[in-house]
Amino acid sequence: MRLPSFLRLSPRWAPYVFISPFLILFAIFGVFPLLFSLYLAFQSWEPTSGLQAMEYVGLGNFAFALEDEWFWKSLKNTAWLALASGVPQHLVAIPLAVFIHNSFKRLRDGVIGAYFLPYITSTVAIAIMFSSLFSKDFGLINAGLHSLFGVENVDWLGKAENIKPAVAFIVFWRYLGFNVVLYLAALQTIPKDLYEAADMDGAGRWQQFFHITLPSLKPMILFGVMLSVIGGLQLFEEPFILTGGKGGIDQSAMTSAMYLYRMAFDFNDFGGASAMSWLLFALVVLMTWLTNRAFRPRGGSV
Amino acid sequence: MGQVSLRGIHKTYGEVPVINGVDLDVREGEFLVFVGPSGCGKSTMLRMIAGLESITSGELLIDGVRANDIRAADRGAAMVFQSYALYPHMTVAENMGFALKMAGVSKAEREEQVSRTAEALRISELLKRFPKELSGGQRQRVAIGRAIVRKPKVFLFDEPLSNLDAALRVDMRIELSRLHKELGTTMIYVTHDQVEAMTMGSRIAVFNQGRIEQLGSPMELYNKPATEFVAAFLGTPRVNLVARPNDAGSPSHRAFWQKLVPPESAGIARAGLRAEHVAIVTAAEGIPATVVLAEHLGDASVLHVRIDGLEDLIHAKTGADQAHLVAGDCVGLRPAAERAIYFDATGRRID
Repeated sequence: MRLPSFLRLSPRWAPYVFISPFLILFAIFGVFPLLFSLYLAFQSWEPTSGLQAMEYVGLGNFAFALEDEWFWKSLKNTAWLALASGVPQHLVAIPLAVFIHNSFKRLRDGVIGAYFLPYITSTVAIAIMFSSLFSKDFGLINAGLHSLFGVENVDWLGKAENIKPAVAFIVFWRYLGFNVVLYLAALQTIPKDLYEAADMDGAGRWQQFFHITLPSLKPMILFGVMLSVIGGLQLFEEPFILTGGKGGIDQSAMTSAMYLYRMAFDFNDFGGASAMSWLLFALVVLMTWLTNRAFRPRGGSV
Repeated sequence: MGQVSLRGIHKTYGEVPVINGVDLDVREGEFLVFVGPSGCGKSTMLRMIAGLESITSGELLIDGVRANDIRAADRGAAMVFQSYALYPHMTVAENMGFALKMAGVSKAEREEQVSRTAEALRISELLKRFPKELSGGQRQRVAIGRAIVRKPKVFLFDEPLSNLDAALRVDMRIELSRLHKELGTTMIYVTHDQVEAMTMGSRIAVFNQGRIEQLGSPMELYNKPATEFVAAFLGTPRVNLVARPNDAGSPSHRAFWQKLVPPESAGIARAGLRAEHVAIVTAAEGIPATVVLAEHLGDASVLHVRIDGLEDLIHAKTGADQAHLVAGDCVGLRPAAERAIYFDATGRRID
């Protein structure tokens, strides 16, 4: 059956029509908000008063953000959490991946699956589970610490100095498996020959780890650390849910992403929030560039 | 220094036997080639000498000392891998100096030894480069250099030339032979390429199904193969093997057999004749045959001909004077019977 000609697609237009659903959705939900937030960063605007209430303030929002004590505090919190959760992630993931790579044959996939599970679990479920685990009087963590080391019950989520380590631990626990999978994939690509050559050259296990494995993993370390830096600077869900969206006592787990969310939706300052989000973006770009500089592999891959 | 002895070596992976009793004495300073089809155990044997594979039973002696349980690095053997196995994140100089570094040699001495070796191999200008910036031939040289720097008692080569193109392979063959002369160190060289085996080895060990089929000098193996397997493995085109004709054999088959084999020859089951020992004459003068394929190489011609009643084609290698022959032509064969090799029913050679 042939369609009438006005319903038929000419070959000239067909590709554009077929690709248009993605482009239209991307334009609406991707490009527009991006450009609009850039525009808003230079406006003072309270959205409840309607679009007419926008007022051009030049760099005012940026100046405000840079003078805002809470903005700096949130940046410090973010940096603290990114380091405290990110660094151990890789320091543990690399040896763990090497261990799994060398020691597990048949159980391998099961072990990797177990480590990967937290990554695919809903953040809300994880946060709820951990708020129960971290609970002061009835939490499993305090019970464990008490019976093992005789530690007095710690108020994990109710005291400013305890919230950050608790959040960092959750983030570490959640993304460890993801990094292990990254490193396992990289380990599989290292030719066995290299280890045999190292055997012949007299390198022991540790020397092989430091002279063969680590340098061979370098491209993946760059990738993994870059993801951790970007993810760490945008940390939002875990502390948000764990602290009920307010950042906890003394805002000690309020990350930059949380603060700019509050700026917009709690304090109704969309201009200020937009300016902060672009400052955060600039920071992400800067850190990514620095990471790239620091971990660039020497001599490149084979 | 550099004498390797294998005494009753066996190797099994689980239940699967791979090496079934190898006894061998590698003489000091010789260039011994392990050759055989893939899966014959030659590489496994080499890796057992290197210390990369365990020895299931039997004894490995290096310079008279039992080496079964000595770790790879301490056996005094250096290996050149098929893939070169250069460390990709190290420069050429670091690659070559790695073993010395692991042995705790000081930096100055390392540099001194590496640069001396590099000079001998003419790769001094490559020392600062990384492996990925080198061509295949250069990588090969670096891999050899890395082995030489360690001053081993014995060099082990695991099909080192198979990743190179044909022209480079010829160059490296000459280069390796030169190196062997200069260093005078024992070398054990694994290959499946019979040309490499014939041209480089002082002796050749032909492996088949985890055993050494025959051990000897290249010409010994070529002219006096112990078994049909050795005869068939060495030489291109393959040796012609003609089975004894039974009562139903065709006249041409019988005639060919009679020309090849002396009359009183009850024990002979098959006769072997190399392609260069089959002369091509006119159809009337020799055993009649039809050309199936004529390969004219310029300096020589290889003719694959069919004798009526014989299943396998007979290969004949002649001078360029037969370059006019094409498929379908009728020719005559005249075998050089005095060069024929005779085998009994089990495939062993009979004198």
